[in-house]
Amino acid sequence: MISLIFLLFMAFIWLVPLLYTFLTTFKNESDIQSNPFTILPINWVIGNYQDVLFENTSAPVAKWFMNSLIISVSQTVLVLVIVSFAGYGYSRMKFKGRDAIFIFLMATMMFPAVVNLIPLYKIIDTLGWVNSYFAAIVPGAAGVFNIFLVRQFMQGIPKDFDESARVDGASEFQIFTKLILPLIRPVLTVVALFTFTGSWNDFLWPSIVFNDIEKMPITPGLQLLQGMYALDIAHALTGALIAIVPTFILYLFTQKYFMESLSLSSGVKG
Amino acid sequence: MMINTGENKEVNMSSVMVGKSNKKRLNLSPYLYIGPHLILFAVFFLFPTLYGVYISFTNWDLIGDPEFVGLANYTEILLNQDSTFYEQLRIGLGNTFKFVIFTVPFCIIVPLFLAAGLNTKPKGMKFFQALFYMPSLFSVSAVMIIFAMLFSVSFGPINHYLNVDTNWLSTQPYAWVTLVIVTVWWTIGANMIIYQAALNGISKDLYEAASIDGANNVQKFFKITLPSIRAQILYTVVITTIAQFNVYGQPLMLTKGGPTSSTTVLLMYIQENAFGSGISIAGIGAAMAVILGICIMVVSAIQFFFLRQRD
Repeated sequence: MISLIFLLFMAFIWLVPLLYTFLTTFKNESDIQSNPFTILPINWVIGNYQDVLFENTSAPVAKWFMNSLIISVSQTVLVLVIVSFAGYGYSRMKFKGRDAIFIFLMATMMFPAVVNLIPLYKIIDTLGWVNSYFAAIVPGAAGVFNIFLVRQFMQGIPKDFDESARVDGASEFQIFTKLILPLIRPVLTVVALFTFTGSWNDFLWPSIVFNDIEKMPITPGLQLLQGMYALDIAHALTGALIAIVPTFILYLFTQKYFMESLSLSSGVKG
Repeated sequence: MMINTGENKEVNMSSVMVGKSNKKRLNLSPYLYIGPHLILFAVFFLFPTLYGVYISFTNWDLIGDPEFVGLANYTEILLNQDSTFYEQLRIGLGNTFKFVIFTVPFCIIVPLFLAAGLNTKPKGMKFFQALFYMPSLFSVSAVMIIFAMLFSVSFGPINHYLNVDTNWLSTQPYAWVTLVIVTVWWTIGANMIIYQAALNGISKDLYEAASIDGANNVQKFFKITLPSIRAQILYTVVITTIAQFNVYGQPLMLTKGGPTSSTTVLLMYIQENAFGSGISIAGIGAAMAVILGICIMVVSAIQFFFLRQRD
């Protein structure tokens, strides 16, 4: 009983910012000036959305949204491919140094990423990737954690399956694509969700490699938007809401996987 | 051809008969599988990390060639009290540490209580779970815009409905308070889910036995619940601490590093020095980054040492 009251109280606190944002985006700015604290809009308008989405010079939200979409989807696909192959290699294939390399990779997860930033920028600059989608897509695929997840999951698939397939004359690649890949769909879904979300929400790195307003993704772009709509509450909140819609929708459809994945990564069978 | 050797194992005779051995052929294909990632890893992680350390020993504007200066950057930011960069390190690192100390406890305790609440499997559990978790999927910039409006001194609903006129974003200690509140709202979802899964795994029998022995709820919590999820608490403490050391977007967009630099964190100075307007001072930036990195690793090691399971 106490728990329910506690949860309801916390739920209220958690809901307030979301409801406030949602409702304010439909309020007329001038209504807000005269009556700043109504809960519901006096007049429901969609003008804020129109303004924000069709703004084209200082805060092109629609363009930012498309940039983010292209970047996040591309990075997700790239990571899925890289991580499946690598996970298979570390789990299913025998070669010299396999475990040593894997352990080394795991150990590097301890290195703080902050030391990376400056040289990484220089590399991007040298490659001519400043302001290009590649800068936001490719470096993120170097991560090691997803390989750990995939390999762990693969370890749980009995090696007998592989063996019987090998006996039947299957090549390594066939075992990988026809046998193992379908079986690791759950962990790949988790990797996809987190990669997409991480890519969409990345803030510091994209703000370093994008200085062209037209090319930047939406998350760093919002910083510019905040400047532009400093006193236009409804417009600022509209921009913010547009930015969170994709991950919100993604979550609604794939809730189960988000929950499972965190148990996976912390090593708890939940 | 399969032979039953009587051990419930069938020996595959065909590979023996053909004389083919799977073990000794030089096989390039594993390297094709792990290769692509290793290349990306070397180019976009390993090399930059090593080079980043090297840059900290140079003067560099990101354009020309780095000029080796030995420990000059480090002596300047650690020892030269007249240097602006010394000030930046002192203020920035200090604020980063403050941020970690202020936020991490709440980022562990709040989700723990939420998870405990959800563990009673109340009505609407799925809704609560989704609600508390969802903000962690939103980008920092969006969340900061929302909270900047919410806590605005003049037109924010918080001041209006609480009937106060606190300047949350531009005065202390309210700036820190706001940062902590925002960070908790935004980030505790993941820890909550981890604790939920962990709590789920604790056997009910333990609690029943304790009840029989006359234990009350508080005792059960401290003597059964917490020890049982010790591993997850360690994991989340370390991960959360590392994440909060990397704070950047919240003070940047919410309190703008103010009032008077009191919430300017080290990563903001690093960004400013290396990528800000004007000539890049990458060497100093890199030295600051190395120091931040060392702090993170040392703190993680200490946490691990104190919290690990001793058996």
